Amino acid sequence: MRRAIPILLALCALIAPLVLAVSAADKIRVVTTIPDLKALTEEVGAKLVDVESLARGTQNAHELEVRPSLMLKLRRADILIENGLDLDSWAEVAVQGANNSKIVRGAPGRVDVSRGIQVLDVPGTRVDRSMGDVHPLGNPHYSLDPGMAPIITQNIADGLARFAPEHRATFEKNRQAFLARLDEAMARWTKALEPLKGAKVVVYHPQWIYILHRFGLNQAAALEDRPGIPASPAHLTRVIRQMKEERIKVIIVEPWNDLKLATRVADEAGARAVVLASMVGGVKGADSYIAAIDHNVNALAQALR
Amino acid sequence: MRVLVLVFVLLCTVLAPAAATAQDAAALRREIEQLQKQLQSVTERLQRLESQPPAPTPVAPGTAAPRPAPVSPVSPIDLARPREPYSLYQQRGAGQLLFDIGVAGDFVANLTRGNVEKAGGGTFAGLENRFFPREVELSLFGQIDPYASAVVRIESGEEERAGELAVHLAEANLTLLTLPFGTQAKLGLVRNRFGYNNEHHAHDLPWIDRPNAFRIFFGDEGLNEKGLEATIIPDLPVYLEGLVGVFNGDNEDAFGRATLRAPLVTGRVRTFFELGSEHGILLGMSVANGQTAERLPSTILGWEGRYKYRPDGWLHPLVTVTGEALYSLRKVDVDVDSDGDGVTDSLDRKRRNHWGWYLGAEVQPWRRWAGGLRFDWSQYPQNPGYEYSIEPYVSFWPSEFLRFRLGYKRTDRSTQTREAFNLNDASARRVDEILFQATFILGAHPAHPF
Repeated sequence: MRRAIPILLALCALIAPLVLAVSAADKIRVVTTIPDLKALTEEVGAKLVDVESLARGTQNAHELEVRPSLMLKLRRADILIENGLDLDSWAEVAVQGANNSKIVRGAPGRVDVSRGIQVLDVPGTRVDRSMGDVHPLGNPHYSLDPGMAPIITQNIADGLARFAPEHRATFEKNRQAFLARLDEAMARWTKALEPLKGAKVVVYHPQWIYILHRFGLNQAAALEDRPGIPASPAHLTRVIRQMKEERIKVIIVEPWNDLKLATRVADEAGARAVVLASMVGGVKGADSYIAAIDHNVNALAQALR
Repeated sequence: MRVLVLVFVLLCTVLAPAAATAQDAAALRREIEQLQKQLQSVTERLQRLESQPPAPTPVAPGTAAPRPAPVSPVSPIDLARPREPYSLYQQRGAGQLLFDIGVAGDFVANLTRGNVEKAGGGTFAGLENRFFPREVELSLFGQIDPYASAVVRIESGEEERAGELAVHLAEANLTLLTLPFGTQAKLGLVRNRFGYNNEHHAHDLPWIDRPNAFRIFFGDEGLNEKGLEATIIPDLPVYLEGLVGVFNGDNEDAFGRATLRAPLVTGRVRTFFELGSEHGILLGMSVANGQTAERLPSTILGWEGRYKYRPDGWLHPLVTVTGEALYSLRKVDVDVDSDGDGVTDSLDRKRRNHWGWYLGAEVQPWRRWAGGLRFDWSQYPQNPGYEYSIEPYVSFWPSEFLRFRLGYKRTDRSTQTREAFNLNDASARRVDEILFQATFILGAHPAHPF
């Protein structure tokens, strides 16, 4: 017993500075599930927030491995901002392993930014898994559609203001400043894609519907047989035939998907496989919200010309 | 002239309505065009309005922002206050259940020699050379209210050769999610969080069968107890999870006292390290201390390690290595036949400290295919002898919800192993088995942690 007391004291002395260092942070600690929401939260919260994302831009946001390191991030969070619509449902497992009452489902620190989004691809009939890994609540990949940013940032500002109501005006001011910059960029993007309105593209995974819809482009087919189900050779043959018949020039590929396969199909069909940033940080240079859309619009415009 | 006047009057009578009709049509066309323009303008305006968020709450100009209130831990008043927004299942429409339902079906086949079947010495003892439902599980889970969640799992499976399928409650527990200071409590019937594989149901294991050491030390079902578990994750820069549990001690293989007067007490400490974004290592140590049905002390210590290498952007890990070790310390009453007449003359109390461990590695170069190898070595908690086995296998996933595995397992038991010989006049000292597993998931199935 006499030996144990000094050991315990030494352990406390070691751990105490770490605990104090962590609790000394005075910013609002925000964790987002995907980097797009991190980028937007940083725009709204600016210096008042310290934001971390659970997923990285190069990862597939549907199937994130729930590591204890994610739980550690969530353990310290004041607010968790999630995409919703079942894209990041894995976050629930991480939250349950984080022992943080501030962000459990139903708590004020849990912010779902899909509230108010006009969701596309909502199944109109009964769905089951024969249709693949289908999202019963609709297509959840709305975050990189610049037209959705006003709604997303409004939800973020509301969530931050619930935690720190005294800063609501600052959050709104930051948000308006960001939306003004986004409006300028929007004019640029619209101009770049205006001549290509009506053009058809093939996607690897059906996650581009919002941005395509925004700029008047059409998704003609997907390389995945059904969402999340790897393509069969027969399906790829059909897609190649369709691309040739309809003279489709572009296959959009996510950074985490099989670029080799997409390139092979594109070569067969006389088209190009283009890697777009499926999330902020997905490709080199796409390290902010506007930069990611800049990359995507420029890459699309260049490939479709 | 009269004729001309008549013709003129007639023409006027005939043409006047036609001219009026033409005028009406032109007016109508103009009106329709006007309406179309108005409709287009309204549609555009509607679209503009829909793409904009609601106006922010106005802030009174000149109002000095109050100083930020210090963030305090959750108080009892906070706990009692209804949460806002109450977002529980807000996305769900009418007519939908307020919890999730999932069904997992796990079917296993094994082929082995006749002597092993006769001795009942295979991995699935008594079910050798059969194809059978090992575990068909109905899971119900979800939020009870803003403060707690619950899980209920009902299982059925073949437990004896061609016997009736028994249905039993595999898990039923609630987790209190909003306790202060980074704590959580789970109470009810739980799969104990002892080491890595014990908390997984058979269909979720990364192998066809549960590692030998766990089957030998805890029985086929593993450690599955009724009681309370509490965890704490301190707010530190490194991940550290502490767990303590108090249970009845119903597990007959390791404990069996089955009373809270001499409870089974469990504990676990876990940590996790990331080496860059691609490598992760989980390390932990567990302990379970209780009494046997004979009121003798029994303690099992466990160590676990799990490593994963997942190249950036991959949808699955490339390499996974998992290992666990168990050390059982218990006292047992050993029969003593002092005069050699084959009749027990007395009981001798002995200490038995025995080991068991396994190490498995899996490589998954493609999304649908993986191959792996597991090596098991284990003593028996009460009896002399040991056994070891080696098990290579391949897994194939047509999709995330369907999986097939095929494996071969070779087990060797030492000559001191009592259970290996002369069982029904057969021997199971050396066992060769071909194992097959088919697993499906219907409906909801939550993601599994690392």
